[in-house]
Amino acid sequence: MSIMEYNGGSVVAMVGKDCVAIASDLRLGNQALGISSNFQKIFPVTDRIYVGLPGLATDLSTLRERFRFRVNMYTIKEEREIEPETFARLVSSTLYEHRFGPYFIEPVIAGLSKTPSGGVEPFIAATDLIGCLNFAKDFVVAGTASAKIFGVAEGLWEPNLEPEDLFETISQTLMNAVDRDAFSGWGCMVHVITKDRVITRTLKARMD
Amino acid sequence: MNSLAEKYSTTSPLSKLRKAQQLAEDEELSDAMWGSSAGFGSLAKGIPSFTVAPVPDPAAFLRLHTDDHADPNCRIKIQHGTTTLAFRYKGGVIVAVDSRATAGSYVASGTVKKVIEINPYLLGTMAGGAADCQYWETYLGMHCRLHELRNRERISVSAASKYLSNLVYSYKGMGLSMGTMICGWDKTGPCIFYVDSDGTRLKGDLFSVGSGSTFAYGVLDQGYHWDLTDEEAQELGRRSIYAAGHRDAFSGNTCNLYHVKQDGWHFIGNYDLSKLHYEGPNNVAGQGYGYDVRTEGRTSANPPPAATATA
Amino acid sequence: MANANGGAYSYSLTVFSPSGKLVQIEHALAAVSQGTTSLGIKASNGIVIATEKKSSSILVDDSMLDKVAVVCPNIGIVYSGMGPDFRVLIAKARKSAQAYWKMYGEYPPTRVLTQEIAAVMQEATQSGGVRPYGVSLLVAGWDITRGPTLYQVDPSGSFWAWKASAIGKNMVNAKTFLEKRYNDDISLEDAIHTALLTLKEGFEGQMTEKTIEIGVVTVPTTAELEGRQIGDRPKPTFRKLSEEEVRDYLAL
Repeated sequence: MSIMEYNGGSVVAMVGKDCVAIASDLRLGNQALGISSNFQKIFPVTDRIYVGLPGLATDLSTLRERFRFRVNMYTIKEEREIEPETFARLVSSTLYEHRFGPYFIEPVIAGLSKTPSGGVEPFIAATDLIGCLNFAKDFVVAGTASAKIFGVAEGLWEPNLEPEDLFETISQTLMNAVDRDAFSGWGCMVHVITKDRVITRTLKARMD
Repeated sequence: MNSLAEKYSTTSPLSKLRKAQQLAEDEELSDAMWGSSAGFGSLAKGIPSFTVAPVPDPAAFLRLHTDDHADPNCRIKIQHGTTTLAFRYKGGVIVAVDSRATAGSYVASGTVKKVIEINPYLLGTMAGGAADCQYWETYLGMHCRLHELRNRERISVSAASKYLSNLVYSYKGMGLSMGTMICGWDKTGPCIFYVDSDGTRLKGDLFSVGSGSTFAYGVLDQGYHWDLTDEEAQELGRRSIYAAGHRDAFSGNTCNLYHVKQDGWHFIGNYDLSKLHYEGPNNVAGQGYGYDVRTEGRTSANPPPAATATA
Repeated sequence: MANANGGAYSYSLTVFSPSGKLVQIEHALAAVSQGTTSLGIKASNGIVIATEKKSSSILVDDSMLDKVAVVCPNIGIVYSGMGPDFRVLIAKARKSAQAYWKMYGEYPPTRVLTQEIAAVMQEATQSGGVRPYGVSLLVAGWDITRGPTLYQVDPSGSFWAWKASAIGKNMVNAKTFLEKRYNDDISLEDAIHTALLTLKEGFEGQMTEKTIEIGVVTVPTTAELEGRQIGDRPKPTFRKLSEEEVRDYLAL
């Protein structure tokens, strides 16, 4: 069995109109055995950036701390908040530093960039476990249910969704996809990042 | 058409190949494969035969390409994960199964019927290869009917299970994958036999088979005794399958519950495991089996929803 | 401070005098003030840095002599003091800017790069077996967070942001001149002329395109920034003026 499937779990991020959404399941497994149904895989980086880290759970904790360290150092040194695109490059660089002994994590990044004119622009990106960046304009996925999420998202997503509609779309996409994946599920968590606030909701999901 | 055993008695690989090809041709011409016998061949000729790969060692060929326990990277995936259970008590036999079929990590189906109704008095459960179980247990049903016609009485669970056991044993090494419980009510009363494709055949009061069996056993062992009421027994079966469906990634979706009594089996119901988690069998919110549902608002680890609400 | 490499004799050359001064650093500053004058002026829509370029012989091909250096597309540096030390610092600065690009996919903000250079220069005031760098720098750059910024770095490793500053031989006079001429809403064109006028004060010899070097930072318009797509190379905001351009400014 693949080490990427050892603990299970999936993350998806989607672009909306002046907003982005990122969602994950809450399962932590030990192969087929479910261990926890409250295992978060998405973490805030700044007020406007969230990162999802599906993959091997032990590497998740390590990477999360690594990113926290590097982002804090960046913030202090540069006296400014990191931008989503810059953070994505940082994630990529960090992962490629371990090209020949990688962290078994495929990060997903979602955030709002500042535009030069003072507005916001939605940003999403995903990388593989050695940091190959994928800047998508619609949605990105990762984890054991990635293929299934792609399928559903391809059918449900549409451009310029308002925050509440985007929430519905990403929730339905994730929930229906993980129901077809043995290693994902056991609850879902969704964050919708808008200019003014972040909406965080836990979904009532199938528990098998 | 001869039995498979005979087919391999000739030594030369070439002659084997010729025989296998001849066999395939025979079948194409034979109308016994069609019509009423529907793929089971002519019963008069005994065990049905199958086309095999035209190679010197078809068993090795199969092992290479189909899902064997030893090789997870095989090309052809056969559904594997399952939880099935059956137990015997004073009121008969309870048979409960989940309904999930997986191919790798993909949930191929959530509505699989894993209880095979062999005849009104016999049930077989399905774990391992879905096709193997379906085919051979249906085939077993035909022979049980023939037994009835010949002997003017119903076949005993013991005899039926032994028939199946002998049958699968004759294919040992060919990649059959079955773990089944043959359940019924005969002259001796409620009866369960465990039969698997290795050739094992065991009589017992309580069995659980499949990847989720350990979880089911946990609940089953804790709640089982002979003098259960019918309601208690059905609840135990349901609760056990729920536990397995919850914890085991390869089990889940729904639970099918059967009760075998003196007058034959009865289908009790189909229960959505997620509904059981949140609402329990009586569909009352908050009365679910789920740990988080039972502890909600009662522990600091699981505070009431209002306390965690973030927006 | 003994270490494994140099043994007990590798003492830091920069040691405090009893009065609390680091004499080596003061000597380094003295070396800077022997160097040719450089100056920088921050305008409302950009920055100009300029310097006087002197060659010891008319036989030197002065077109190959660079005193204003491009570090990365958004930052340039001019120096006063020792040329070779400057070259080393530029090499380190360029490397640092590229390392930053490799890590973050963008070039460093002026302040971050200045900090990096300052750290290198500070290290030379506290390490064994080295001397401080004999240069002062004027770092001019543009970045999205702080816009156009002008920093001065000294051999001690200290750095400040300036609206206008001068370093080198004629520093005191130049600064007085700039103080008189500077106002907050000066345009880049005016700033370039002010820079040339400032350099003219106490200039030895003829001011020509061969003896003057100018670098400018231009602030990109919002429209230029808005259109940027992921993966696009940033448009350079710092550039050196060509000899023709310098000649045109001198002629005016």
